[in-house]
Amino acid sequence: MADMPGLPPPRPIPLKDRAQLVFVERAQLDVRDGAFCAVNADGTVTQIPVGGLAGLMLEPGARISHAAVALAARTGTLIAWVGEGGVRLYSAGQPGGARSDKLLWQAKLALDDKPRLRIVRRMFEIRFGEAAPERRSIDQLRGIEGVRVRETYSLLARKYGVAWKRRKYDPNDWDASDTPNRCLSAATACLHGLTEAAVLAAGYAPAIGFLHTGKPLSFVYDIADLWKLDTVVPEAFRVAAQAAKGKLDMSPERAVRLACRDTFRRSGLLSKIIPRIEEVLSAGELPMPEPPKEVIGPAFEDEGKSGDDGHRG
Amino acid sequence: MMVIVVSRAPPRLRGRLAAWLLEVRAGVYVGDYSARTRERIWDQVLGGLEDGDAVMVWKAPNDQGFNFATAGRNRRMPEDFDGLKLIKFLPRQT
Repeated sequence: MADMPGLPPPRPIPLKDRAQLVFVERAQLDVRDGAFCAVNADGTVTQIPVGGLAGLMLEPGARISHAAVALAARTGTLIAWVGEGGVRLYSAGQPGGARSDKLLWQAKLALDDKPRLRIVRRMFEIRFGEAAPERRSIDQLRGIEGVRVRETYSLLARKYGVAWKRRKYDPNDWDASDTPNRCLSAATACLHGLTEAAVLAAGYAPAIGFLHTGKPLSFVYDIADLWKLDTVVPEAFRVAAQAAKGKLDMSPERAVRLACRDTFRRSGLLSKIIPRIEEVLSAGELPMPEPPKEVIGPAFEDEGKSGDDGHRG
Repeated sequence: MMVIVVSRAPPRLRGRLAAWLLEVRAGVYVGDYSARTRERIWDQVLGGLEDGDAVMVWKAPNDQGFNFATAGRNRRMPEDFDGLKLIKFLPRQT
């Protein structure tokens, strides 16, 4: 970068070496002396080690400069603009599509019904610790999963003593949801942010899902669901129970994020998530596509790899 | 692994810290002690700091991989970002 004489631009580090997410609200994000910082209204400057994070979630009231987005992109860090409670709106920083071989493989697996069913069955196996029932279509498996997830929700609600009706939320009217649903939304927002960062870092497309389809983050939901029930959902209900008893000295959303940070660290999520993505896709049992013979190779070789497959530079 | 950095600290505290830790730069002390010993050394800092300020960093099994504590006033103060500890740099007092 021109404003950094004498120092080569920073390059991405692998996702497994990073810390998790940072949520920023009401601050101006800028670059000072090459460092990413949040400037508050009173002139306080907080440096954020952006390259050491999986992602940065900007809440309402955050403003970010061109230089700051450029630095985040250089370090391969996902920036997501989120609404109240982490409802995702838009993201940038490390756009996907850096690896055409992996994208083509993912698309091939999703287009072919047999590999797609094998992948969905493998995801079922990982989630519930048992093989999926034989001779079921993807729709039938989705139905079985839905029932199991609802059962787990009510089971956990009972375990923690939370009044629970059903999963219901309106992204346009955050305050209309009850506390357990808001806790669940905040918790899944954390998990989806990390998972999106991992899917992009691994070089895959967030939109090409197997069980979920038709959403910009279908594949992110597929992968996030593998961890959802044993990490963030119990934490969300635990925090909701504390909130109902008046035992929280902070907002439920913040308490949920703290709890998620702990549970992700305990489960080693950041180091496991990319290998798990590869494991799930390998279950499709299709080889990676070979480049066509007449293809023209790159005019010059890139520098050696510094981050994960999906990181540019 | 632990590191203590002191500024404007009285010489007797600096001498005391050098009894257990290696002063690798002016006011920068490094060592490797158990959690209990680390807290005892930090108590000495709190007791002998007077008008100075100090920070201690050590390896910890959290998301960041380390933790830190501060004593006294400095333009750099800790700030909590949902469990991630960062540093806010206060504007110069006029």
